[in-house]
Amino acid sequence: MMKRHDSLQGALPLLVLKILLRRGPLHGYGITLHIETMSDEVLRVEEGSLYPALHRMEEAGWIKARWAVSEHKRRVRMYEVTAAGRRQLEAEEGRWHAVTGAVAHVLKHA
Amino acid sequence: MSWLSRLANVLRASKVERDLDDELRFHIEARIDALVAKGVARQAAEAQVARQFGSRLRLREASRDVKIVAWLESLLKDVRFGLRVLRKDLVLTAAAVASLALAIGACIAAFSLIDALMLRPLPVSAPDRLVYLAYPTYEPDPPEGDWFNYPLFQRMREAGRQHVDLFGISSPNLRTAVFRDSGGQDEQVRAQFVSGNTFQQLGIAPALGRLLTPSDDVTPGAHAVAVLSHAFWMRRFGGDPSVIGRRFAFYDGQFEIIGVARAGFTGTEPGRSTDLWVPTMMWRAAAFGPPDGADWSWFRIFGRLKPGVRAEQLQAVLQATFTTFRQEWARTYRPDAPRDRIERYLETPLRVHSAANGPWSQLRRTFERPLWILAIVVALVLLIASSNVANLLIARAAAREREMSLRLSIGAGRGRLIQQVLVESALLASVACVLGLLIAAVVGPAIVNMLAPSTDPAYLDLRLNWRVLAFAGGIGLMTTVLFGLAPALRASSVATMGVLKGTGGRVSARLTLRPLLALQVGFSLVVLFVASLLLLSFLRLTRVHPGFSQDRVLLLSLDTGVIDDDEGKARVAALQLLDRVQQMPGVDGAALSEWALFEGAWWASEVRISGREPEAFAPSFLAISPGYLETMRMRLLEGRTFTVRDTEPDQPTTVIVNDAFARRFFNTTHVVGRSFGRPVGRRAATSPVVRDGLLPQEIVGVVADAKYGDLREPAPPTVYVPLRGFGTLHVRAASDDPLTLAPILQREIPRELPALRVTNVTLQSTLIANSILSERLLALLSGFFAIVGLLLAAIGLYGVLSYGVVQRTREIGIRVALGAQPGVIVRTVLAHISGVMVAGIVAGLGGGLFLARFVKTMLYEVQPLDALSLALPVCGLIVVAVLAAVPPARRAARVDPVVALRYE
Repeated sequence: MMKRHDSLQGALPLLVLKILLRRGPLHGYGITLHIETMSDEVLRVEEGSLYPALHRMEEAGWIKARWAVSEHKRRVRMYEVTAAGRRQLEAEEGRWHAVTGAVAHVLKHA
Repeated sequence: MSWLSRLANVLRASKVERDLDDELRFHIEARIDALVAKGVARQAAEAQVARQFGSRLRLREASRDVKIVAWLESLLKDVRFGLRVLRKDLVLTAAAVASLALAIGACIAAFSLIDALMLRPLPVSAPDRLVYLAYPTYEPDPPEGDWFNYPLFQRMREAGRQHVDLFGISSPNLRTAVFRDSGGQDEQVRAQFVSGNTFQQLGIAPALGRLLTPSDDVTPGAHAVAVLSHAFWMRRFGGDPSVIGRRFAFYDGQFEIIGVARAGFTGTEPGRSTDLWVPTMMWRAAAFGPPDGADWSWFRIFGRLKPGVRAEQLQAVLQATFTTFRQEWARTYRPDAPRDRIERYLETPLRVHSAANGPWSQLRRTFERPLWILAIVVALVLLIASSNVANLLIARAAAREREMSLRLSIGAGRGRLIQQVLVESALLASVACVLGLLIAAVVGPAIVNMLAPSTDPAYLDLRLNWRVLAFAGGIGLMTTVLFGLAPALRASSVATMGVLKGTGGRVSARLTLRPLLALQVGFSLVVLFVASLLLLSFLRLTRVHPGFSQDRVLLLSLDTGVIDDDEGKARVAALQLLDRVQQMPGVDGAALSEWALFEGAWWASEVRISGREPEAFAPSFLAISPGYLETMRMRLLEGRTFTVRDTEPDQPTTVIVNDAFARRFFNTTHVVGRSFGRPVGRRAATSPVVRDGLLPQEIVGVVADAKYGDLREPAPPTVYVPLRGFGTLHVRAASDDPLTLAPILQREIPRELPALRVTNVTLQSTLIANSILSERLLALLSGFFAIVGLLLAAIGLYGVLSYGVVQRTREIGIRVALGAQPGVIVRTVLAHISGVMVAGIVAGLGGGLFLARFVKTMLYEVQPLDALSLALPVCGLIVVAVLAAVPPARRAARVDPVVALRYE
């Protein structure tokens, strides 16, 4: 379906992509932990929207998933970034910086 | 995701679900463990995590919704949701369903009529191996004839023996029968004379007793046996098995009932249901042998092809016999017969048609085109109703845009939204289909009643069958797609953020609504245009003056018993009857004619005029009693009318002609005193006044033109000759309600002349009305559907305008606040639809003119390009559009800027 990226609103996909790229394959719980710790607990991920977002990103081809066994011998689903995801991240990141930079500029000089 | 993996997911549903549960369980447990590690009590940690996740079930569903196609489950949910939404907007839903049901019902009714009359195979075994014979004909009865005489049939049956089994079946006319259990009461039964091998060749088994066999059809007049149809047996005798062996009076004899045909077989004539069959040999004896056998063409020839024989092979074989027969017959022609007529007669090809779905009967000929026109009209109404529903759904979807975009932003798939809307429209369509079937069950039989006069009813088997059901299902599916797809696609293209912010997302709504609206306007104009053509034409037909006065004229059929056997006695008795009836109170004139005008009977004969070449053109003839022209109020232009003297046997030559005849043959109206010759048959040739086979005819009067049996055609050149005996009694009543006179006449006539009995009473006006039944049917039905279509279009316009006003409340408020006058506001609102109207009207006129070519042959003195034909529907549509636009425009003009701007 066209214009699929429309439905991936907000910063969550951006953060997910960034973290997966930095940390390599992670499971869903790991992703939330990383977002929370890296943002000094400022950003809390809504578990209710993480999984739908993950699945949509997977469908969009930005990430891919596979089953693995964790260090505690649990079956976990690991996600990692694809090439398309990497390109998407670059684009989103650029836009994000432009917007936040502009906002910061206004705040500073207004 | 590829289709394959989706399919795999569906098939592996349980495994996928387990995987998903595993993933979530891991997440939840890890979260709890972390909390516990931080020193939170396990129970409190579990509660906190559960709160964070919300319902675990919901989480799972939301995830799965995106990825896994749990299609059936979501479908069920959509149905429940759809029903809830539809229930919420009860009025809107009811209006949508009602208009759709009406349109679908009309379509189903039209289809089942067309199916029953024209498409359905005959209810016999292997109908595709059946053929019937026909030949092209010329004026006045083109394009094809399929009635044959017995001598020719006999020869063709022999000649084609290797290729085909031929059998003859007469026209299913209503005839009088008297069954003993009714106490001597006349009954009208539809009877057919059939060859002895008919049932065997059609593969019809008896339900009771036995059917006719070839041995029942050998000697003229010797086989007084009858087979009943199952339907008649049930209706008339309640299925009583003791009818076998009973005798009844029919066709100048006593017939014995020998059997009942199997249920479901109602004859071979589409549109007519036969009550009983008797052998061909029981038809009038003169029809079988020389010298007159070939004078009577009274049955169709059917045949069952032998295995491996093709229709073309059979044609070649029978053509030879057919032509030889005609060559022999042409030798009896008068030497002065027109050359071109003889050539045409001899070169006539014989045609072998498939009889798989019955012969091309009169009812089919009359109603084929009207029914197809009707089908097109109702199909257009269905399109109008569908686009109306689409409009309503779009408007409602627009009202639900917030809901949709919310659902989109929390992750509902677009496919899922489309499915949601389509399920809603499918629900609407299926309810409308079921109601439509019910409507069709009422409308269909009502239309069948309009196909034929009540005295000679048509019969069509409209019971539900798989063809009709399949058609209804197809229509339901089509309408779902028609009115569901646009709103569905729109719903799925909602721009999420704009809608949530309370702006945007609306431009596209207008863009979808407008073409739909233009389409609707166009379709309703087409229907309106065609309907007004047909209505105008019908009105003109009803206003045609036939050349005589049909008001207050009562027509009585007489049973004259034995009087008619003696020409002299009959003549005197007839004059006596007229004399008595004229004396009766309430009678304003009485006369006899051989048959009534517009009854369907016709007599045409060539004439010879000295000094002119013989012509094949045959003017019409009618035998009338003295007083006929006066009773019918025909205007005498010159000379005199008939007197009693003209009916006397030694006065065989006086005639009255009409203006058209005088002009056609003498180029002048002043023809009193002129004469011409009429070729007469072998029997009359013995009269002393006949010279060279010509009976001299002396014109004693000229009357103004009067139509004979067709309102559309100009009055034919007509010759009125004196009637010497009985016929149809015409009585002009003094009061405006002539039927009150009927029982008096029925009682008094046998009292005055004991040999006479009145068998049937009708009105001259009824006969004329019956001659334009198909025009009436079309005018009434297309008029009705034009109104329905117009109403639906008005509702559509109203709905879209109202929606537009609601949407633009804020904008209108700002304009008013800035000082715009109400007039300006109304104009902006109307400007919205004027483009749509113009586009719709242009498209509609184009479509209408295209369709008009198909309708044209049905029209009378109305041209599609007449100013009136064009202006009437366009003006009607514009008036209705303006009326529909008034309420929303007023609402717009009354928008209070303060309220409007505070809104949202």
